[in-house]
Amino acid sequence: MKLMKIEKGNLSKLMEHLKKDNFRVIGVTPDGKRFSEKFDETLNFMQSDTPPTSISFKEHFFLKTEALFYYKNNNGAIDLKEPVIDERKTVVIGARPCDTASLPILSKVFNWDYADDFFNRRVENSIIIGMKCNYQDDYCFCNEVGLSQNSEKGSDIFLIPDGDAFIAKTITDKGNKFIEEFAIFFEEYTGNPPAENKNGHDEKKFDYESVKKWLDNNFEHKFWDEAGETCLSCGQCAFVCPTCHCFDIVDEQCGTCAGVRAKNWDACQFSLFTKHASGHNPRDSREKRYRQRISHKFKYYNDKFSEILCTGCGRCSRGCPVSTDILELLEEIDQIAHSTTN
Amino acid sequence: MDQLRSVCRQAISENKAAFIIGYTEDKHHHLKPFIAHNVEETEKLTFNCNAVNNLAVFIHRFHNPSQGKIGIVLKPCDLKAINALVQENRVKREDLYVIGVNCSGVVKDQNKEFSKENTQIKCRSCASKTPAWFDVVVGESAEFELPEDDMAILMKQIDEMTPEQRLEFWNAEFEKCLKCYACREVCPMCYCEQCIADKTEPRWIESSSTTRANFTWNMIRAFHQAGRCIGCGECDRVCPADIPLSLLNRKMGMVAFKEFGYRHGTDMNAPTLIGTFSTSDHEEFIR
Repeated sequence: MKLMKIEKGNLSKLMEHLKKDNFRVIGVTPDGKRFSEKFDETLNFMQSDTPPTSISFKEHFFLKTEALFYYKNNNGAIDLKEPVIDERKTVVIGARPCDTASLPILSKVFNWDYADDFFNRRVENSIIIGMKCNYQDDYCFCNEVGLSQNSEKGSDIFLIPDGDAFIAKTITDKGNKFIEEFAIFFEEYTGNPPAENKNGHDEKKFDYESVKKWLDNNFEHKFWDEAGETCLSCGQCAFVCPTCHCFDIVDEQCGTCAGVRAKNWDACQFSLFTKHASGHNPRDSREKRYRQRISHKFKYYNDKFSEILCTGCGRCSRGCPVSTDILELLEEIDQIAHSTTN
Repeated sequence: MDQLRSVCRQAISENKAAFIIGYTEDKHHHLKPFIAHNVEETEKLTFNCNAVNNLAVFIHRFHNPSQGKIGIVLKPCDLKAINALVQENRVKREDLYVIGVNCSGVVKDQNKEFSKENTQIKCRSCASKTPAWFDVVVGESAEFELPEDDMAILMKQIDEMTPEQRLEFWNAEFEKCLKCYACREVCPMCYCEQCIADKTEPRWIESSSTTRANFTWNMIRAFHQAGRCIGCGECDRVCPADIPLSLLNRKMGMVAFKEFGYRHGTDMNAPTLIGTFSTSDHEEFIR
């Protein structure tokens, strides 16, 4: 770990320089809603006390639609063509701990029985410049899922606001090399080291271990009937989420006598998600689908990969059309869990 | 809100309704849809300027005439959806127990106080603060200052564009689409047993989220809403990508009114535009 300092003006210049240098630079759009190459060049989003973007930066690593290969009928033979991947080096700036942490979490599933070359190449090709967060509202719960506003998980370089500048902490070798390569934009940091990375508050909104234990034993429970009752079965929650990663693979037309096999985002709340070819659907109700969403995030993924499939960013709750608040449900589970053990 | 709770309590205890689809307050002091299944649960019902959802969408899920009538809390604007659904034979008037609420506008952002700027877009063109019909009505409506209708301004700008500019505008908007289908799920008028977007044999609409496929999805939805949208603006409200979806439906509605003098959802006894043929129908605009 190394500590450097970068003035806000220099950070702007660095981003400008990177763009000219053919980097793919991803920051927050002027409306604060999304991460994009068309980001706010004034870097106004580099404030740590504003809400997180409505949509996570996942879409730049796990694309909403990804061509796996193209095929074409060539007089009875099949011509296959590899997709062209954007191989430019990528720099993501302005991501909060609840965004950056999603990459190592997702990496587990994308490198489990099959290594997802598309995801891996993009991550390897990227420098993630995370930023300390000073925002907290009633939807946030990063502390409860093992993260914090200071969490460096997933960052290559971590910025800590320091007046009109940022203390830049290198987290990975990749981050270190990046700072060395663009050293002219940075200066030595001579101040006191930033406060120790205290992981979380003392008071938690819910106790994850109790929730997990309850989920282990309560696949059937009346709680689920109420939890999913007003869910509309749209995919807003899954699609704004930094860690939801389900996909569907489809063959679609692309040109004459030609097609593309594409990997598209899918969501467990959709009624078609688990529909079998026979017509049978094991998750035929909204209540069952909502149970799946909670269970996958807070039980199954942890059972399999020792990670919670949630960074506590609160995006799904802030944007839910029927105001379903995942934190409120987790608090409720925690309460039920405690009332049954006591 | 004692009045609302009292009529809802009465509705269930006197068997006027089997349950009530209404609003409840969450810990953020926001209102969200809530189903009161019994007298005790009616205590959780409430209504204020945070009641943004159009609850008519829940009719489709809970419509089971054998269980008894559906009690539903409706703002004057949302009542238009019920009119439209009666017109389309989706629900029978007699299967509903409508608790109308006099409305003084609803907020755009539930985290902020109600103000001229903080009003839902639909309120900006709303002229009905009292429900046109009901089984019982509660609350008082107060006059409130209406801000400029942003959508009308945007519509004017788009009308003045060349077709190429318009295509560019919509392509840029649809590129943002995530295909989460929140627009469809929240819409009281989107009730097909199987949506065309979910049909896989054949697949009419590509499920990929490319600009072209996003364009197809959003245009087909707009076509299916032509002369049917009742303008509740829920699609705009829930779109995570902030696409001004209701603009398309509003334009279609304006065309329907201009060409056929028809507005969907204003009269539950009127025949539907799409379901009626008249030899005097205008045809000149069909090209």
